[in-house]
Amino acid sequence: MEPNQIGINYQAILPETITGGVAIIIMMIDALSRRIERRVAGGLSLLGLAGAAVSVATMWGRNAEPSFRGMIVTDQFRLFFALIFLVVSFLIVLISIRWIQEEQLPTGEYFALLMFATTGMLFMSAANDLVMIFLGLEITSISTYVLCGYRRTDLRSNESAMKYFILGSFSTAFLLYGMAFVYGASFQAGARPAATTNLQLLKERISSGALFSPEMLFAGAAMMIVGFGFKVATAPFHVWSPDVYEGAPTPVTAFLSTGSKAAAFAAFCRVFILTLAAAPIAESALMHSIHSVWVNALQVMAILTMTLGNLVAIVQGNIKRMLAYSSIAHAGYALVGMVASDWKAVAFYLLSYVVINIGAFAIIEVFAQRGDKRTEISDYAGIGFQSLGLATALSLFLLSLAGIPLTAGFMAKLIVFKSAWGSGFHVLVVIAVINSAISWYYYLRVIVAMFFADQQPEFKAPTLNRSFAAALVLTIIATLYLGILPGRVLDTLDRATDQISRARK
Amino acid sequence: MDNYLLTIVTLLPLAGIPLLLVAGKSETTWKWIALIVSVATFLISLLLPINFNSAGGLQFQADAPWISAFNLGVRYHVGVDGLSIWLVLLTTFLVPLALISSWNSIHRRLREFLIAMLALETGMIGVFVAMDLFLFYIFWEVMLVPMYFLIGVWGGERRIYAAIKFVIYTMIGSLLMLAGIIALYYLNGQATGGRFTFDIPTITENVKTGALLISPTSQSLLFWAFALAFLIKVPLFPFHTWLPDAHVEAPTAGSVILAGVLLKMGTYGLMRFNLPLFPVAAHEWSVLICSLAVVGVIYGALVAMVQPDLKKLVAYSSVSHLGLVVLGIFSFTDQGMQGAIYQMLNHGVSTGALFLIVGMIYDRRHTRLISEFGGLARVMPAYSTLFLVVVLSSIALPLLNGFVGEFLILVGTFTSPVLPHARLFASLASIGMILSSVYMLWMYQRVILGEMKNAENERLADLNNREKLVLVPICLLILWMGVYPAVFLSRSEQMVRALRGRVTSAVERPANVTANNGIELR
Repeated sequence: MEPNQIGINYQAILPETITGGVAIIIMMIDALSRRIERRVAGGLSLLGLAGAAVSVATMWGRNAEPSFRGMIVTDQFRLFFALIFLVVSFLIVLISIRWIQEEQLPTGEYFALLMFATTGMLFMSAANDLVMIFLGLEITSISTYVLCGYRRTDLRSNESAMKYFILGSFSTAFLLYGMAFVYGASFQAGARPAATTNLQLLKERISSGALFSPEMLFAGAAMMIVGFGFKVATAPFHVWSPDVYEGAPTPVTAFLSTGSKAAAFAAFCRVFILTLAAAPIAESALMHSIHSVWVNALQVMAILTMTLGNLVAIVQGNIKRMLAYSSIAHAGYALVGMVASDWKAVAFYLLSYVVINIGAFAIIEVFAQRGDKRTEISDYAGIGFQSLGLATALSLFLLSLAGIPLTAGFMAKLIVFKSAWGSGFHVLVVIAVINSAISWYYYLRVIVAMFFADQQPEFKAPTLNRSFAAALVLTIIATLYLGILPGRVLDTLDRATDQISRARK
Repeated sequence: MDNYLLTIVTLLPLAGIPLLLVAGKSETTWKWIALIVSVATFLISLLLPINFNSAGGLQFQADAPWISAFNLGVRYHVGVDGLSIWLVLLTTFLVPLALISSWNSIHRRLREFLIAMLALETGMIGVFVAMDLFLFYIFWEVMLVPMYFLIGVWGGERRIYAAIKFVIYTMIGSLLMLAGIIALYYLNGQATGGRFTFDIPTITENVKTGALLISPTSQSLLFWAFALAFLIKVPLFPFHTWLPDAHVEAPTAGSVILAGVLLKMGTYGLMRFNLPLFPVAAHEWSVLICSLAVVGVIYGALVAMVQPDLKKLVAYSSVSHLGLVVLGIFSFTDQGMQGAIYQMLNHGVSTGALFLIVGMIYDRRHTRLISEFGGLARVMPAYSTLFLVVVLSSIALPLLNGFVGEFLILVGTFTSPVLPHARLFASLASIGMILSSVYMLWMYQRVILGEMKNAENERLADLNNREKLVLVPICLLILWMGVYPAVFLSRSEQMVRALRGRVTSAVERPANVTANNGIELR
């Protein structure tokens, strides 16, 4: 086959090439020179991420055709999610520069792994093929497995890595098995290719009703829900996340709860909203019933996830664990947007959520001090007025996670709830709203501890460096910007196209 | 100027915050900055009633698009009408007084305290002037944060419990209201063929003209989604349990604002949203709500009677008084609603003053137990006199403000043509009023009159000039509002008449809204 028939287009994978390239460069420098300076590694990562962001931005209006035989798609769905991931990694790098020095951990591998994970995430949103999604997912997962155990001498960190690895592999198997089923279901005698993992082709075959076995598609979709459900940490597939989040080093926890979660959501949306949601177009009764089954399944999962996440978060004594459950609950709110089949609402939700959550984790990380010593909520007693700036910022992030207006958290919830209400899921919205009310309790607990409890004499206000301060300022500004003036971002998203709306044009 | 006036009044307190942050280390400077900013806000807000056109409907409007993506149609729309104008004034009037009253009683974190007070003021004014549901909700929620900190940081022993209870109660109500707002937004959009908006006057107008006709079942659901938020805030029996805790634990300034302004947001919301938007449901549920209101009136009074703690007594008296306001609103008569609006102001002034008075004695003795006092009249004559004026205002002595409001409410309720069992409700409510004079006068007698039993009270100082500066304007206002209420009533008259007209016409034409031709929540 001629190369141009395959549709090689290096520009289409430029962001991934940059981040992957930077990862390799960092590893090479680390291997060849004795020891890579944290500023060099961090600076290279930041440059790479910025470069990737620029290349994403230049692709925005271009409407390129799918390339690499339809493996890679360049729609605005991909690009918007890519920007979310780049924002996440950028912020994580900024907070890690301080952390890695304080912890005295090897620098090179850390930033290289972070960049590899980013590359995988970018591929997940760019993928237009189940195999590609799987590849991206694995690149991300393997990097994050290692990152979780990055504090080698710490038992909790090791436990976290092992747990994540074993359960993660297990869930990946589900995903892969589901994909295999879908592949089998798409078999069409005499067609070329006979069966496919390409989402575009899958959608066409589903719409035309030319499937080998709809039941097999149904089984495959069910298993993929399990696989994705694990990656985004939704109930009942969430059990791993509190342990993993608690044990992993805090910047890694921040990365897991935002970046890899958002990436899994991107692939989840791509497969379920943009591919399988096309099913009812077929007007085939069977397809329609399959579609409604998975919407209902997601609905049940959303309700379970929100309720369980919020209720269990209430009784947590460790703030990282509490935020782990809170991030389970937030996955539930994002699922509400998925139930409404509105990827734009999900994307806005995730954008807001990642910014706020990274801000919160960043502050928890500095308060925790070396070796994650102070992560109990009781450790926060009375530190509010001793470290007023950080405590105020943490309060802002927590209130924003709870959904106070004028911050990103509120706009995000509003957009998702509005979208779900407009699609007729009224009960779901009411349950989500009641859940938000519950969540106030545990977010306020931290504020109560910080400001209302008696002061601790032994607490020393942490010192910050410039990159950390930059990350903090960026997250605060973004939290307020998305809450007060979300107009531009929402406008952009409103006009963004995906492969379906592009194909229709 | 008229277009910017409300925005200035709303945001001016907020402008004091950066000033406070750069003002150096002198506590006195901070206090003066906060005071000057809040007094300036009050003076500017005086322009509102002066330039207000009593026949003019919504005034001083400013309207600009804010978020238009996703079909949201959110606007920055502010304005005042006869309902909100005096509530704005009440807010700007009480905040400086609260600041003066706590001049020497905040001993730690003074700057943060002042910042919270100013932020709170902006939030409260914003709630009253917002004419866009989205904007309203923002102010409604954001205002919680400074209040939460006021109770939690500067409060008493059980402040954490009280602060969390306050927020969670309010939150449950207001998040359901958020669901209601989204639902209403969709219903209005569907009914008007895709013109999605959160604009309150537009939606209200659509309801009035019948462009937005909501089926009775859906009206009931939406009515409760909104009403629950407001009834918790009021607070109506049985949603009142957060109030005594919050009041007792809050610092004096917080209690004044809580009783004086925050509770009015509930009754304001009922009149701004529930009555005009869901008139049929409002009528349908009026008997239940009025029953709860009357229970609250009597229950609040009975519980207040047996309180050993002065602040708790005043807190329960609020439950009783606010019940009366709710009764007035749901009487659906001109007098009843006028009385309700008037009583909101009265309660703000009198109960605000009561909390100030309790705070003054607490600053001296560090106790609020009634049994600790007695015979204060001899050592504190000025205090006792002003206290008496406020007590009499609270029990609605004729010629003082309370009388006008309560009388109007009772007359309105008694003669209501639409409210079932109106006379029964009015009679029961007047029992509550009799009880209110019992507990108030009894309390006054035990604290001020009689013999001085406690030697510690012998050397109590009478009011100083600062405290007189706080209480004298309030007492003058009490007298003014009692003798010449026309200034106040005339400005809300047109608005009340229009509101009453909407409810009664919607109730009298039930055929117009049947299950078949109203829009349904699906």
